[in-house]
Amino acid sequence: MKRVTLKKVIAISSLLTLLLLLIVLFSMTVGSVKIKPPQTITILLRSLMELGEKERDAEEMIILSLRLPRVLLAGLVGAGLSMAGVIFQVLLRNPLADPYILGVSSGSAVGTILAILLGLSATSFGLPVASFTGALFTIGVVFYFGRQNGKIHPNTLLLAGVVTGSFLSAVILFLLSLSQKEELHTILFWLMGDFSFSNFISLRIVFPYILLGFLFLYSRSRHYNLLLLGEEGAIQMGLSVERLKLLSYLSASLITAASVSVCGLIGFVGLIVPHGARTLFGADHRLLLPSSALIGASFLILSDTLARTLLAPVELPVGVITAAFGGPFFIYLLRRRKGVKTL
Amino acid sequence: MRSDFHPLCCDKKPWVLYLLGLLLILLSWRERAFPSSIFIDEVGRKVTLTGPPKRIISLAPNITEILFALGMDEAIVGVTLNCNYPEKAKEKVPVGSYIRVDFERILSLKPDLVIATGAGNTREMVNRLEGLGIPTYVIFPKKFDDVLQSILHLGQVVHREERASSIIQEMKERKQKVIEKTKSLPRPRVFLQIGESPMVTVGKGSFADDLIRLAGGENIAGEERQMYPRFGREEVLRRSPEVIIISTMNPKGDYDRMISEWNRWKTIPAVKQGRIHLIHSDLIDRPSPRMIEGLEEMARLIHRGPLLRPPEKESK
Amino acid sequence: MIEVQSIYFQYHQDWVLQDISFKIERGGFVGMIGPNGSGKTTLLKILYRLLSPQKGQVLFEDKPLQKMSRSEIAKKIAVVAQENYPLFPFRVEEVVLMGRSPYLGSLLFEGKKDLEIAQRAMEWTEILPLRERYLDELSGGERKRVFIARALAQEPEVILLDEPTANLDIHHQLDFLNLILNLNREKGLTIILASHDLNLTSEFCDRLILLQKGKIYCVGSPEEVITPEHIEKVYGCKVWIDRNPFSQSPRVNFIVKENQP
Repeated sequence: MKRVTLKKVIAISSLLTLLLLLIVLFSMTVGSVKIKPPQTITILLRSLMELGEKERDAEEMIILSLRLPRVLLAGLVGAGLSMAGVIFQVLLRNPLADPYILGVSSGSAVGTILAILLGLSATSFGLPVASFTGALFTIGVVFYFGRQNGKIHPNTLLLAGVVTGSFLSAVILFLLSLSQKEELHTILFWLMGDFSFSNFISLRIVFPYILLGFLFLYSRSRHYNLLLLGEEGAIQMGLSVERLKLLSYLSASLITAASVSVCGLIGFVGLIVPHGARTLFGADHRLLLPSSALIGASFLILSDTLARTLLAPVELPVGVITAAFGGPFFIYLLRRRKGVKTL
Repeated sequence: MRSDFHPLCCDKKPWVLYLLGLLLILLSWRERAFPSSIFIDEVGRKVTLTGPPKRIISLAPNITEILFALGMDEAIVGVTLNCNYPEKAKEKVPVGSYIRVDFERILSLKPDLVIATGAGNTREMVNRLEGLGIPTYVIFPKKFDDVLQSILHLGQVVHREERASSIIQEMKERKQKVIEKTKSLPRPRVFLQIGESPMVTVGKGSFADDLIRLAGGENIAGEERQMYPRFGREEVLRRSPEVIIISTMNPKGDYDRMISEWNRWKTIPAVKQGRIHLIHSDLIDRPSPRMIEGLEEMARLIHRGPLLRPPEKESK
Repeated sequence: MIEVQSIYFQYHQDWVLQDISFKIERGGFVGMIGPNGSGKTTLLKILYRLLSPQKGQVLFEDKPLQKMSRSEIAKKIAVVAQENYPLFPFRVEEVVLMGRSPYLGSLLFEGKKDLEIAQRAMEWTEILPLRERYLDELSGGERKRVFIARALAQEPEVILLDEPTANLDIHHQLDFLNLILNLNREKGLTIILASHDLNLTSEFCDRLILLQKGKIYCVGSPEEVITPEHIEKVYGCKVWIDRNPFSQSPRVNFIVKENQP
């Protein structure tokens, strides 16, 4: 493998994008109700050309109101969590880091559970807001405690994040013990990760974070390569390390918060996709970031598709599928051990 | 499909509002091509139906039972996996459990009415169905008398009012009989156990609590504000019930094990006098026409003896 | 070119450096020597502003280091120090190219000029055949040369080295220092190195700064600095100083206790 050039990035990204499109199409045609692929494609194309509301028949509704927002949301969240995973692994200098390690997910969960207990419905606009607020609060707390002498120190940050996350987990358990039966179901499914209520509102909430997050993180991708040399090495190369760490931490945390607020906690994506992409394409972030995002999108879309079709009409939580794939895949990665130095 | 936000500031141009209003009236005029009925369901939602429903999906077992009792079995196109009564319900297409449904399947069945219950189905489900343009009627019975109301409401929605009325009438008569027969009897303290670990009982506002009272008993957890409070065995000891009724899905199988569990606590009056009974859960937590059987069975178990005739048929 | 004015530095309570002042001319080959804890490495870190002194300042061509941006500094001063293993493996070529970072700014990809400069740096350090190999596959000496190549890619005017010959075999030590000497003589790069090794620094440096417990003990040519009195005072042991027969540089000979006069 030679070094990463712009041509290489474009070539591989295009390939992965093609793969992603195929997976999107596949997922749109698959479901508990059988709709033939040609019909699916026709429906999709026709919807692009029509504006405004009209009477839609059952097949159209299934494709456009149920499957389309779901697939798109799974793709966005998959991309977001994977990118955040890459960044946290660099920032914390730890290959086992994932987007939830700094407690953002627990904070989000507390916000969500409180909202549900106070009577908010999971499809209302208020729930992602409550979730996001919980996340922001956690980001602030961890950041405040994660600093030493005004600088972000990876180990201190990690410690602050893990401790905060544990505390919040205790709060979650406490809130669960107070919940009544009906609320418990809603909370539980949210905690396990749930795309079944995806709609275009959630898409609009998440999309700007993922897009802007990607643009910012990618613009710094060469700098993340330098960070891998250690902070002293990066400073020697002329990098303003503190500012980069702060902005990256914020971006990755916001991406995670946005993702979690629309679909709950989906594990493993942010951990194994970066490793998988690194094994395939190397550690250079100029290629790693876009490839992780694209692979993450494909992976989560596929997982969600499996979750909703494997045992129809019962729907499995998507987190079960990602874990079922994630676990063995991670063991496989460990055995190859090519990409990981400090495990 | 519904559209999302409409970002219009209301205080800027009033004539825009009038124009919009006019537009809305014109548009809604198109929809009045067919005579439609508007119902307000039991949680205050407006449900519009164009004609009598012919393809109904039930999202809870009690709703299925009510629909069958109203004679609507032909019109039912979808039920939940938990719908097990009557036998014919098991032959219908399942659309999920009552906490998780498969919306694709629901859409593919092309229903003109979905009936949900506020005690069991989630608000998200109902909102989603609404968003997909499917008329959804929600019932929310909390006490015995509410069940009668729900049967009446559903009877109206499916145009079987007469049938509903006669069912309700019979239930009322049988309920009255129970009340009369138990009026002069002492009211024993009753503990109803509906879970094993943790041990859960029924508090104020739950069906079973209502049944206990109507059957002439005193629910030892009747003042608890939580609908399904968790009691430790010590708490039960403290309140010394005279009758313990255990609600179970499997009255035949669990009998010996559960009795022996309680028999270790001889200081409880109910244990001392051998007053531990089992009742089938479906009879007392399913708000359906069979609830009257639950009431009768409850009275029989609480008061024991020749005052109330034992059931002739097997309670399933 | 570099002027250090009365700097004081502390990590916590105790002063690690006190009242350090000296000047380094352009083209100099300066060695900082002294026992462990004398502050050599700290001083080096201050020279490229990894650390900032609590008192005093460092001037680079009459401009205070504090006022220069990190990338400005990196274009002028390059560092070859103890390296962590990178968290994930990189190839030699990629590591050398990282030296171009201060010139790339917000650009993501290196241009032709950057590739040429990296190539020349690898040629100079004779590691071109290793360009595709991974860093962790190389020997200690080869790795050090990669880091010099990276430093060269920065096109600096000054190179700082921290214990560059530690853990190297003799022939590698000599090769390495010869390389540095050539950089100094042929390219006119100013060299500042911190080292334990008195003889090697005496051999190669034209000026030495002797530090003791955070203060400058003395500054001067090797002949002026490496004297029996100075060594005994600073290191606390008796030595015999003579001359290297080939270069005439002072040579330190250790006296084992039983042989002491």
